[in-house]
Amino acid sequence: MNATPGNGFAPWLADDGPAADTGLAWLDSRRAQARAQVRDQGIPTTKQEAWRYTSLTRLLEQGFTPTAKATTPLEPRDLEPLLVPGLEAYRVVLVNGRFVPGLSDLQHLPAGLRVGGLAQILKSDPDALKDRLNGVAGETQPLFAALNTAGLDDGVVVLLERGAQVERPIELIHLSVGMDEPRVAQPRHVVALEAGAQASLIERYVSLGEALYCTNSVLELSLGRDAVLKHQRIQTESANAFHIAGLYLSLGAGSRYQCVNVGLGASWARTDLNVRFAGEHAECDLQGLYLAGDRQLMDFHLDVDHRLPHCSSRENFKGILYGKGRAVFDGRVYVAKDAQRTDAAMSNRNLLLSEGAEVDTKPQLEINADDVKCSHGTTVGQIEPEQLFYLRSRGISAPLARRMLCLGFAGEILDCLTPDALRDQVAEQVGSRLEQAPID
Amino acid sequence: MSASTAVEAIVESEYEHGFITEIESDTFLPGLDEGVVRAISARKGEPEFLLEYRLKAFRHWQTLATPKWAHVYYPEIDYQAISYFSAPKSTDGPKSLDEIDPALRETYNKLGIPIEEQMALSGIAVDAVFDSVSVATTFRTKLAEAGVIFCAISEAVHDYPDLIKQHLGSVVPHTDNFYAALNAAVFSDGTFVYVPKGVRCPMELSTYFRINARNTGQFERTLIVAEAGSHVSYLEGCTAPMRDENQLHAAVVELIAMDDAEIKYSTVQNWYPGDAQGRGGIYNFVTKRGDCRGARSKISWTQVETGSAITWKYPSCLLRGDDSVGEFYSVAVTKGRQQADTGTKMIHLGRNTRSTIVSKGISAGEGQQTYRGLVRIAAKAQGARNHTQCDSLLIGDRCGAHTFPYIEVKNPSAQMEHEATTSKISDDQLFYCRSRGLTTEDSVSMIVNGFCKQVFNQLPMEFAVEAQKLLSISLEGAVG
Repeated sequence: MNATPGNGFAPWLADDGPAADTGLAWLDSRRAQARAQVRDQGIPTTKQEAWRYTSLTRLLEQGFTPTAKATTPLEPRDLEPLLVPGLEAYRVVLVNGRFVPGLSDLQHLPAGLRVGGLAQILKSDPDALKDRLNGVAGETQPLFAALNTAGLDDGVVVLLERGAQVERPIELIHLSVGMDEPRVAQPRHVVALEAGAQASLIERYVSLGEALYCTNSVLELSLGRDAVLKHQRIQTESANAFHIAGLYLSLGAGSRYQCVNVGLGASWARTDLNVRFAGEHAECDLQGLYLAGDRQLMDFHLDVDHRLPHCSSRENFKGILYGKGRAVFDGRVYVAKDAQRTDAAMSNRNLLLSEGAEVDTKPQLEINADDVKCSHGTTVGQIEPEQLFYLRSRGISAPLARRMLCLGFAGEILDCLTPDALRDQVAEQVGSRLEQAPID
Repeated sequence: MSASTAVEAIVESEYEHGFITEIESDTFLPGLDEGVVRAISARKGEPEFLLEYRLKAFRHWQTLATPKWAHVYYPEIDYQAISYFSAPKSTDGPKSLDEIDPALRETYNKLGIPIEEQMALSGIAVDAVFDSVSVATTFRTKLAEAGVIFCAISEAVHDYPDLIKQHLGSVVPHTDNFYAALNAAVFSDGTFVYVPKGVRCPMELSTYFRINARNTGQFERTLIVAEAGSHVSYLEGCTAPMRDENQLHAAVVELIAMDDAEIKYSTVQNWYPGDAQGRGGIYNFVTKRGDCRGARSKISWTQVETGSAITWKYPSCLLRGDDSVGEFYSVAVTKGRQQADTGTKMIHLGRNTRSTIVSKGISAGEGQQTYRGLVRIAAKAQGARNHTQCDSLLIGDRCGAHTFPYIEVKNPSAQMEHEATTSKISDDQLFYCRSRGLTTEDSVSMIVNGFCKQVFNQLPMEFAVEAQKLLSISLEGAVG
């Protein structure tokens, strides 16, 4: 294997490359370190545990180039078909990985909330980010996070002051557009809620067209004492896209975090969720729904590190596979020696609907304390014939009955989405995908 | 006994079966090269094909590196510091028990398993392996009447070379893994069982192993072939004397079940686990695999693992025949500084294949216990079914219990379920038992036995009793 990844990432790996000099010494040294890490690690193969079921071959075959600085001129009305009808939110729009203030709607931000572009803040107030960049992800990062660090130039920063409570959700729209050749966008986000702050964050990955491109995003998130965050991630990238997301979370004492992941788009999608408890009595709830059809791969890796006592975590992921769709679920719950009273439950359930579909699942528990409540469960199955018969006997056609049952299966996760406007839109997207799915 | 002193009691309880029998043995100097492989083969007077097999395996082994993926930690093994052959003197083959070295028989008496009584009371034919060469084989005549071959593999090589040539290495090839390759190169002895077509083996077959000579790796090789429509139940049990140096044990077990055949393989493993500081103890790196080659065949593994410093063992089933069945029932106990990385692989290839996995792990003291399992349902395995349950019981706050299941499903008609729980003996359970007049000790023993019942039920009667006793001894007073 080559020591360096394919073309798409090469520009960021050259020590004299354009991305090497940002004018900030601390940032340059972190980026240099990340470049060295990528070079040292090389490209993971399926012999490595974290990539056992996910081959990078197809990704590396592409001749990616960095996204252009100048983006296609878009007007707010171009965005309209991509919005969630009826969703009122503070809107941040990134086009091809870069923050576009003109499309964003950040008027009347409430007191205590600061939202801005990463590049902008690196220029105007770099000290605000000095401790936060790599603050949660750490200095040693896996391949794609390191690549992101090596290449980071823009993204979104959301800072919520102590005790601030924001009613309206903050919506991050990642729009990929005008990719006439394969490009890589590497947005880097920093979200920090200080003690007692409360907010809701919606991340949506959308695209105009069916272009082939790659998104490699990293989000570092820290919750202070008793902070509360609801985080919803809806991935509906173009059918030819590669989607890579790394989330690094640090949860303070008594904080509550919920993340609802919905993966519908992209031809190859990999999401890594890394959760570290930084204080006791914190709660973490990770929910997920994925659909994969022909030539689609959905890969979710969860790493929940219960290093402190009295924390609880829930991991509940459900998948529907059809056509030649593939899914990988790799969940790890680690309970450290003194993390007594840990309460962790992991579940991964899959519906395999057609010949050629595949699921590889690996729910792992590593437990080093005795006074804990830990469990995991996994199932792989089909639609129950009895349930199908029940619906058929009431005059419902077989295809519709199957769709209804799939939607019912997905409903548990969809119902976690708020507000209703968002849930309705996602449910509709799931429904229309199932309608096109060759499951009859 | 109060809870805390009870915990101390278990941590401090020394290995019961720790003693060394002084028997003169004929041992090679430590070291491994082609010359040693040739010498082993020559010493045993093996035919050419076997020497070639050994050499092929040895050359392949030299290209391999020690596997590092298991959740076990131990100092690097120096394979050149191990002696690869040890045979008790006077190997002319005793015909009756009277001819057996009195010291050897004394050892069995200390273990509470006198051969005569075993034979008389339980009707078990015992092929006792004392280090590397079989010295006692019994009930041979009765088995011969039924047409069952039950002998040391070194004898089978001479007496039934065609069967050995056909089957040896056909389930676990010499290229399978590091330890399987090593075993194929230097295997000392072991057991061969052949059950002809349509025969139900008239008795349970059993081998007692003992690792005895100091500083000697033992490389057992077991091969069981059940022809169409036959049935056999095989028991394997072992204890080992106390010693200071770590001892490597890398066995290979191959099972072959043809159409409608059934093999039941039960193990009770109680080798020396090392002392309280983690010194000494057996390294148990075993490759066990069953091949359900025929339609409607069945292979069932049951194991009770309480010994060894390190256990690395995954009895597996290749479900190739349509409607074949694989089972794995396991109780594993780790205490002190013991580490166990064990589980199973169920590879569903045929149609309507079914498998069941029940794994119960008990971890006490500073024991580390890992369940690692693979369930693979291939694209053509229409109607495959798997149910997996792995439960861990933690006793004390310094132990660990880990679960690494791998589930790969490529067929949409598959039904598979996996569930795992981790718990400790709850105060409520203890209080319930205590309030009915049971001591803490008895309560724990009762709760743990209940926890393991599903597995013990699968063991043959005699073994079940032994296993329960072993478990309560292992966990004496271990309550937190």
